[in-house]
Amino acid sequence: MVGEARVPMLPQAPKTIWQAKVNHRSVEVLAPSNAVLLDVLRDNVGQLGVKRGCDLGTCGCCAVLVDGQPRLSCMTLAGDVEGCAITTVEGLAEGHHLAPIQTCFAMHGGSQCGFCTPGFLISAQALLYQTSSPTEAEVNEAIEGNLCRCTGYQPIVESIMAAAALLRGEGEAPVPPTNPHADPHPSGPEEPQLPPGHAR
Amino acid sequence: MSGGYRQQPGGAGGGIRKDGKRVAGKLRFTPPGAGGSRPVSSPRDLDGIPESVGGNEPQPAGHHVHDRLRTGTTVGRSTALVDANAKVTGQAWYGDDVRLPNEVIGRILRSPHHYARIRSIDTSAAEAMPGVLAIATGSDAPKTFGVLPVTKDEHAMAVEKVRHVGDLVACVAAVDEATAMEALGAIVVDYEELEPEFDPRKGLEDVDEPIHWRGKYHVGRTNVQKRVHQAFGDRSKIEHAAATSRRAWRFEGVHHGFTEPHAVVAHWDANGRLQLYTPQQVPHYTHRALATVLNVPMHQINVVRTFVGGGFGGKSDPFPHEMCAAILARKCGRPVRITFDREEVYWINRGRHPSYIEVKLDADEDGRVAGLDVDALIDGGAFASFGHVTSYYNGVLATAPYELGSFHYTGARVWTNKPASGAMRGHGAVNTRCAVEVGLDDIAEQLAVDPIDLRLANLLPPHSRTISGFRITSNGMREALRRVKEGSGWDEKFRKMPLGKGIGIGCGFFISGSGLPIHWDPNRFPHATVHIQVDMDGGVTVHTGAADIGQGSTTAVAQVVSEVLALPLDMIHVRSHESDTSPVDLGSYSSRVTFMNCNAAIRAAMEIRDELLNAAWDMLGYHPTTLVMVDRRIVYKHDPSIGVSYLQALHKAQEDKGALIARGAYRSPPMGGVHKGAAAGLAPAYSFSAYVAEVDVDVETGLVKCTRVWAAHDCGKALNPLAVEGQIIGSCHMGLGQVLSEQMVYGRTGHLQNANLLQYQIPSVHEMPHVTPIIVESSDPEGPFGAKEAGEGPLLPILPAVCNAVYDAVGVRPSSLPLTPDVVWADIQKRIKKEGVEDPLELESPRLTHGPLQEKLAARAEEHHSRDRARQRTEDTSPYVNGVLFGFDPTRPIDEQLEGWAAIDDPDPESMAEMGYAGRAWLKQEQRQMGGDV
Repeated sequence: MVGEARVPMLPQAPKTIWQAKVNHRSVEVLAPSNAVLLDVLRDNVGQLGVKRGCDLGTCGCCAVLVDGQPRLSCMTLAGDVEGCAITTVEGLAEGHHLAPIQTCFAMHGGSQCGFCTPGFLISAQALLYQTSSPTEAEVNEAIEGNLCRCTGYQPIVESIMAAAALLRGEGEAPVPPTNPHADPHPSGPEEPQLPPGHAR
Repeated sequence: MSGGYRQQPGGAGGGIRKDGKRVAGKLRFTPPGAGGSRPVSSPRDLDGIPESVGGNEPQPAGHHVHDRLRTGTTVGRSTALVDANAKVTGQAWYGDDVRLPNEVIGRILRSPHHYARIRSIDTSAAEAMPGVLAIATGSDAPKTFGVLPVTKDEHAMAVEKVRHVGDLVACVAAVDEATAMEALGAIVVDYEELEPEFDPRKGLEDVDEPIHWRGKYHVGRTNVQKRVHQAFGDRSKIEHAAATSRRAWRFEGVHHGFTEPHAVVAHWDANGRLQLYTPQQVPHYTHRALATVLNVPMHQINVVRTFVGGGFGGKSDPFPHEMCAAILARKCGRPVRITFDREEVYWINRGRHPSYIEVKLDADEDGRVAGLDVDALIDGGAFASFGHVTSYYNGVLATAPYELGSFHYTGARVWTNKPASGAMRGHGAVNTRCAVEVGLDDIAEQLAVDPIDLRLANLLPPHSRTISGFRITSNGMREALRRVKEGSGWDEKFRKMPLGKGIGIGCGFFISGSGLPIHWDPNRFPHATVHIQVDMDGGVTVHTGAADIGQGSTTAVAQVVSEVLALPLDMIHVRSHESDTSPVDLGSYSSRVTFMNCNAAIRAAMEIRDELLNAAWDMLGYHPTTLVMVDRRIVYKHDPSIGVSYLQALHKAQEDKGALIARGAYRSPPMGGVHKGAAAGLAPAYSFSAYVAEVDVDVETGLVKCTRVWAAHDCGKALNPLAVEGQIIGSCHMGLGQVLSEQMVYGRTGHLQNANLLQYQIPSVHEMPHVTPIIVESSDPEGPFGAKEAGEGPLLPILPAVCNAVYDAVGVRPSSLPLTPDVVWADIQKRIKKEGVEDPLELESPRLTHGPLQEKLAARAEEHHSRDRARQRTEDTSPYVNGVLFGFDPTRPIDEQLEGWAAIDDPDPESMAEMGYAGRAWLKQEQRQMGGDV
């Protein structure tokens, strides 16, 4: 904090119950009524995959999907998206399986230090919801609000293109870098095998 | 075969009585499986095994001492980062993601003044506020620290003086951020303002109140922190120069622009040990500094490196806020988390030095570089940081890849009342390299020769020494130049494109690991140590202090261990986060990790390998020299059906002694000369790179857009081509930022005006050209499997490549960066006035008609090509030192052959002052010479 001019931060706004569907799960948390979505998601809901890079809407690290649309959570008041379906990077994976976009980022070097990756994944996923055959210009437009300092964007664009190809059913699904999760049910997460004697 | 057996399906037997009952105690253990997730071992992949040991991998640069360890498992294959899954699922934990129970929030009070004495600090009102748990000021930790032992000039919080806007004054821990911010506002500080200094050129003058005081070593009463002088070679050659290029440059400060702001969590555990979580490139320096500042023995501190959201040099100093968090946590007895906002990231800075650099190049009638004179005045900001080293690097890293007739360097680093500059990707080499490469282009223009041919005819060969005594081992510069020339279609484009379109060349040279560890005697302790532990489950745990900052060092270490032991990557677990478990390591800077840590890891893995092979010898009866490691198996070379599985061998080796534990260390060989500053720039290997860039320049507005880049980098051996390409493209991005848009803007009043990512303009995806990465493999004899660095060197050539392309496009040679439209427009206007044309569109692009020297240079380049090839493949092992091109005998010391071909240690101040700004720093005497204050 530099300089004399400042806005008093106390007393804080009263806390209210904020509820929404975060990553397919209903949550209710107590948060200040003037809180921004980024703070609520990180501090109250515990979705630490949403990153804070600049607080100014310039880096795109804090992007989340609100009802399928990409939004910068640092520029969104939590109250404005109350009751919406919010997807963070933690909600992209399908059960035990990484989403194609996640696998492709890992396999094509779309992620180096990884701090901007959640934002890029969200922006890319929003694009892939719209079209599974984007042009390079469309990809560039989709990620123009995201800053990456490591990769030089080229591997990211390649990753998104590869993910789109996967969604179109072209090309083979890449083998994940390491055994991604200790997935006890390779066929899918639907039917957990319970020990004998344990009924649902 | 004593104790061994042929592996056959269902071979385990016995233990069943005639009546079908199993007999307890007589059952043989079923042979353990191979280990790993996949059920079947894969066969040996000859494509991943070098020719020299019977594989199919071609080795144009010759064989390597590590070839015999190759198993064709992972080295040389594009491999996703081993922590990629954590990163794409949001599970990677960065500094601010460490949330401990009962945590409180810390915030920092920063100076509003550029330079002021603190008369008093009153914290009583803040302390009385409900929710405030602790307040600390400079008096709580008066000891100094700094990244280099010779320049410890920082405090946790200001003691006596604040030295720049944003300097730390006090810090507060409170129950939440709002309370902490209010408490900061309630702290009353009484300042006495002092006269600030922002212009490094004025830092050479005597002032009443120098920003720091170095006692008897202080230069006059100036703000000069460090001055450097080096001179080598025969300066008589430059008197009859055929071409001379002299240019004074101005480079603005640049910030790393990593996306993760600094954050730290400090917690004193129940035993009174400090647990400090911080995204650090060099946790060990933080460890040392914490011990000093907090007055706690090092073994009572555990520094935990979190995931690092980008470093690029900006997270390699021990930082004052790390001390603040520890002090606050000690005071309030609860974990304290401090996270910076983006503005604070710029206040702590440590970015590239704003510099005034003057470069003079002289070429003789044979097109040889007879003289290179560099003068670099760098603006260090308020603290020393890595500056001692930077002031050397600005000169000495320009001594290669070209053979020089003489080299003269004057450098000075000056304190100003701005946030401290420090190390940033391409540390110290970037700005000078740009100036030198643009100068070479100018020389080529004057000599009427092709600039690539000029370079090709002046390169130092592999296994040679530079003019200042650096030992060059592998050298892929020539191949890099040839490949970008070919790839870019240089001959069809250079000086042949229409106005506004241009193509340019730039080269780079960078250290691969610093030859001297900063904190200890290299002859006593190693640079890097790696521990490996293998227990009954077969998983391999690797302990290393190498800090993965996104470049993939963890992956590289895992890869080399996996390669030596022929195990799949998912059986290698690298533990590199905690100082409690990882061996002491100097961390990620100087592009040292791949070279040093992978070498150490290979050595440790070799020990494990030997134990496994000896166990297999016991079991199979074949000597280890006849055994090979295949995927999770050890087999007889001549009959692969004879063998044992990895787990069998492991369990045999573990008999009587338990887990296998091995240790490997890396120490660089003795190197370097004896002159002052000889250690700066020494490295066990050097990387080389050559880029060609194509640009579009709008002649009417001056807007420069880079459209294509061909980027060739010699990384020795690409352990992981995916990561190397990522580094090359990423370097292009960062370099393009510096050359086209990024700058830290200090206004007339010295205020930093763009401390945010909106106005500090990092290129977005739209500004990125298409980059064609070209990996050159020169196989370094001492590198791990031949590898050298790929993280910093690739940044260097992009700046001059773009500058030279701008000249090709519009015929103006820049002399300041960044090339924002106003700068280029002004240059174009100057040219319009000079040539007397009406419209910028009437300007003519530069054209080239080859002069008589061209053929001579091309012939020399061709001759050197075969010379270099023979030397690279060690078919020619004769000694070679810089100067042979000028007719010296490499077998005799060069200073015997020529008077004055040696380091000049005793400079003449008057002649040095003519070199440029930095040379003028030598006009002053040090206090001890003046008999002044000690």
